[in-house]
Amino acid sequence: MSEQHQGYMKALKCRECGREYPLEATHVCEFDFGPLEVAYDYDRIKKAISRETIAARPKTMWRYRELLPVAGDPTVGAQVGFTPLIKADRLAKKLGIRELWIKNDAVNYPTLSFKDRVVSVALSRSKELGFETVACASTGNLANSVAANAASAGLKSFVFIPSDLEHGKIVNSLIYGATVIGIKGHYDEVNRLCAEIAGKFGWAFVNVNMRPYYAEGSKSMAYEIAEQLGWRAPQHTIVPMASGSLLTKIHKGYQELVKVGLIADSQPKIYGAQATGCSPISTAQKAGLDFFKPVKPDTIAKSLAIGTPADGFYALKVMRETTAAADDVTDDEIRDAIKLLAETEGIFAETAGGVTVGVAKKLIESGKIPKNDSVVICVTGNGLKTLDAVQHHCGKPHEIKPSLREFEALLAHEEKVNA
Amino acid sequence: MAKASKKSATKTKSTTPTQQRLWLMYPPKLIKQPFIWEVGHKFKVITNIRQASVTDEIGIVCLELAGPRDEVKAAIKWLEKNKVNVEPVEISAIEG
Repeated sequence: MSEQHQGYMKALKCRECGREYPLEATHVCEFDFGPLEVAYDYDRIKKAISRETIAARPKTMWRYRELLPVAGDPTVGAQVGFTPLIKADRLAKKLGIRELWIKNDAVNYPTLSFKDRVVSVALSRSKELGFETVACASTGNLANSVAANAASAGLKSFVFIPSDLEHGKIVNSLIYGATVIGIKGHYDEVNRLCAEIAGKFGWAFVNVNMRPYYAEGSKSMAYEIAEQLGWRAPQHTIVPMASGSLLTKIHKGYQELVKVGLIADSQPKIYGAQATGCSPISTAQKAGLDFFKPVKPDTIAKSLAIGTPADGFYALKVMRETTAAADDVTDDEIRDAIKLLAETEGIFAETAGGVTVGVAKKLIESGKIPKNDSVVICVTGNGLKTLDAVQHHCGKPHEIKPSLREFEALLAHEEKVNA
Repeated sequence: MAKASKKSATKTKSTTPTQQRLWLMYPPKLIKQPFIWEVGHKFKVITNIRQASVTDEIGIVCLELAGPRDEVKAAIKWLEKNKVNVEPVEISAIEG
């Protein structure tokens, strides 16, 4: 394959044994079944980009395209990314931290979650590799993003879901014309079937055979954070963990910026957040283990409910190497944190956002994150997607007759209560 | 330039030769059980270990199972019945 056809990518490389593979739709090493990751030619990238060249480009995640796994220009999701990094002073005051920022992927384009980053990379690469059909198995955000981005790119899409998924979540995929298939059975069986389908049919299964490319899209969140902070990595970044992939890729993203000379090496710490009802990685981290034990998920944070996380081992390694930590929060703590973020910063996050904010609170209170430091919290999805989790926990509207007197009485009552 | 493979979706039969790449996870009390030997004797499958890690806390084995499809499926069912956690190598194929 010529340099022209592989962009700045060098090969796919096994994370376990380092064996290299061609840049195709494959995801595990044939020898030890270790996961494959994209390796890049950083010397060439260093010569090709600078802060100035990046600043001159459109404000999307593709302004860092040399560091993303596509050979040419992106063809899917050209508008994705460069979401706001908000200085959250009111929340900082509540949490007792000097400097706090929210990276708000709840407003990512087009489907209001960070999955648009990974999906636009996976689908752009799928088109480069000649695929016409894309697929995924998902209970929410990933399905929506694949369906929407495939529709806009003219790709055929198959979305596999557990058959008992709430109808509201299915509509968010059906509306884009995706073929949605509900699979009856336990999670493990559904998971195995999806892995088999990915192997049997010549499709781009975004988080199976396209996983090495797909996962790299997460790095763009780290690039954006660093640029939005004036080209520096924050001291502490708190990331929600499902498979653990986002945490490892945020770390890789900061490291790459150092490698290509865009930021100084400040040794940023990356912390992981999970829901107590599905906390294999945080439980292992707190126990000082370098492996996790699989669990059966039982939490309102459905987008993080992976009991056997594929990148759990690597997420634990990153936290160990950056001397960071992990923690987890209960469903009630998740709801409280969603409300706290909404009431202080006007950001309505999905349950995963509640997990991250709740864990931030715990890490600051416990002194694991010093109060005089600077923290970035990653919010990865929009609260409109998980209304059911909070709808009975945020009060009710006041009802009055169409009478000014009644309204004034209500106001007086409210003032009395709040006095 | 590597192209997408155009595999045809041929109908799968119970005898279709199958290869499955799996992670087996044993809880501590089952670590001493010779499940992989037993699977090879009870079912018409070839077992091929690619990685393994056994500690006091957990046993993890990366295993390739090959054989007729119904035998491979039955072997997986038998392992699960014996409380071994069986996942494809692509463990989190279903995401949120």
